[in-house]
Amino acid sequence: MEKPIHMEYLLNELANIKVRNERQRRMRLDVPSKELPAVLELLKGRAGFMHLSAISCVDWIDENQFELVYHLWSNQVSTLVSAHTRIERDPGVYLSVYDLYKPAAFWERDIHEMYGVFFEGSPDMEKFILTEWDGPPPMRKEFDSEAWVNDHFDWQNYRPDWLQEIEQEGGGIAILPDEQRFSRKAEE
Amino acid sequence: MKEFPVPVQTAEDPSVKKQSGNIFSNVFDELVRFAQSRSLFMLHYCTGCGAIELPPAMTSRFDMERLGIQPMVTPRQADILLITGYVSVKTLKRVILTYEQMNAPKYVIGICSCTVNGGMYWQSYATAKKLNDYMPVDLYIAGCMPRPEAVISGLRQLMEKIKIGEANSWQDYFKRYDYYLGNQQRLFGETWQTPTDIIGESKHYSLHTPETEGEHTRLLELHQRPLEPLEMRLGLSEKTEDR
Repeated sequence: MEKPIHMEYLLNELANIKVRNERQRRMRLDVPSKELPAVLELLKGRAGFMHLSAISCVDWIDENQFELVYHLWSNQVSTLVSAHTRIERDPGVYLSVYDLYKPAAFWERDIHEMYGVFFEGSPDMEKFILTEWDGPPPMRKEFDSEAWVNDHFDWQNYRPDWLQEIEQEGGGIAILPDEQRFSRKAEE
Repeated sequence: MKEFPVPVQTAEDPSVKKQSGNIFSNVFDELVRFAQSRSLFMLHYCTGCGAIELPPAMTSRFDMERLGIQPMVTPRQADILLITGYVSVKTLKRVILTYEQMNAPKYVIGICSCTVNGGMYWQSYATAKKLNDYMPVDLYIAGCMPRPEAVISGLRQLMEKIKIGEANSWQDYFKRYDYYLGNQQRLFGETWQTPTDIIGESKHYSLHTPETEGEHTRLLELHQRPLEPLEMRLGLSEKTEDR
């Protein structure tokens, strides 16, 4: 199957889109957030990208932005298009694409739960998997998972009495967990 | 609840052996323990990847059944609670509910590193780190994942412990309920409660100690809602009729 040529003409109709052919059958679009719904409508309505594989979210905390990635697949031309867009981290509200792609409801609900991004027009923004979680959205970069773990759990005793006998004979744990935790390494 | 006139005796207690003048009572206990160790029903709570090692351990290749160990379908008929892999916070609530439903004597085996210390999920906000903070664990089988041989050898070790009367950690849950409840409350919040009356049961088994009740059980009493029977109704529910 040939690489889709005509799709690029299609995308040229819209301004402000950066198209990058990463590989054959893999295309990356960088779209301003205002134009993303129009691009998705164009791709679905005129290029046959019927399948929304996933919406993923990246937290760029230093730039104060969330990056949303819409992965679209076309069975006709067997091509995966990833449409990247950036939204402001505060207040973190964006438009739902539920009217175009019904499965978007699940992805948006998931992103709302994990990152706290609110999607206007999405049918259900209730808890999805973390139904018994009342902390902050855990996938945001400012959420310190290790601090939460330290607050809520005790670590296993790595120097029990029965192990000390083994240690005297030269056995035991080779690298203690304290020495291999990433965050503590970074502090040094 | 009716109290037993004779307290449950344990082999762990040194005073027990001195008390029993009748040699036949010991013989009978040993016989009972032998029978118990040879007929164990196992409830495997397959939380994580370790569950994949159980089918070969149970079926013809390694054949757990030759040791008298069989899978059981309900917690109330099971002797062993086998927890295979990471326990997420949500799952842990269900594991505790399951554990409290089981009849004593009951034994808990934690399989895989995740039940020992969190394993590869040591940093995860959603995974419990030490299973023995929330319920007494008889035996850990470490490994990521342990092979069926290791599972079988762990189970043989448990059988041996039952035979000599040392597998008594289920009593610890009644004796030190306050400690376990405190860990559970720390994780699940103050309003955490289970439908099982552990303090009443500890009196029933004559295992009530000063450590059974404490500040955490008092907190539980503040929030505890009495159990209400589910509403039973014959016929179709209103929702179905509307359709």
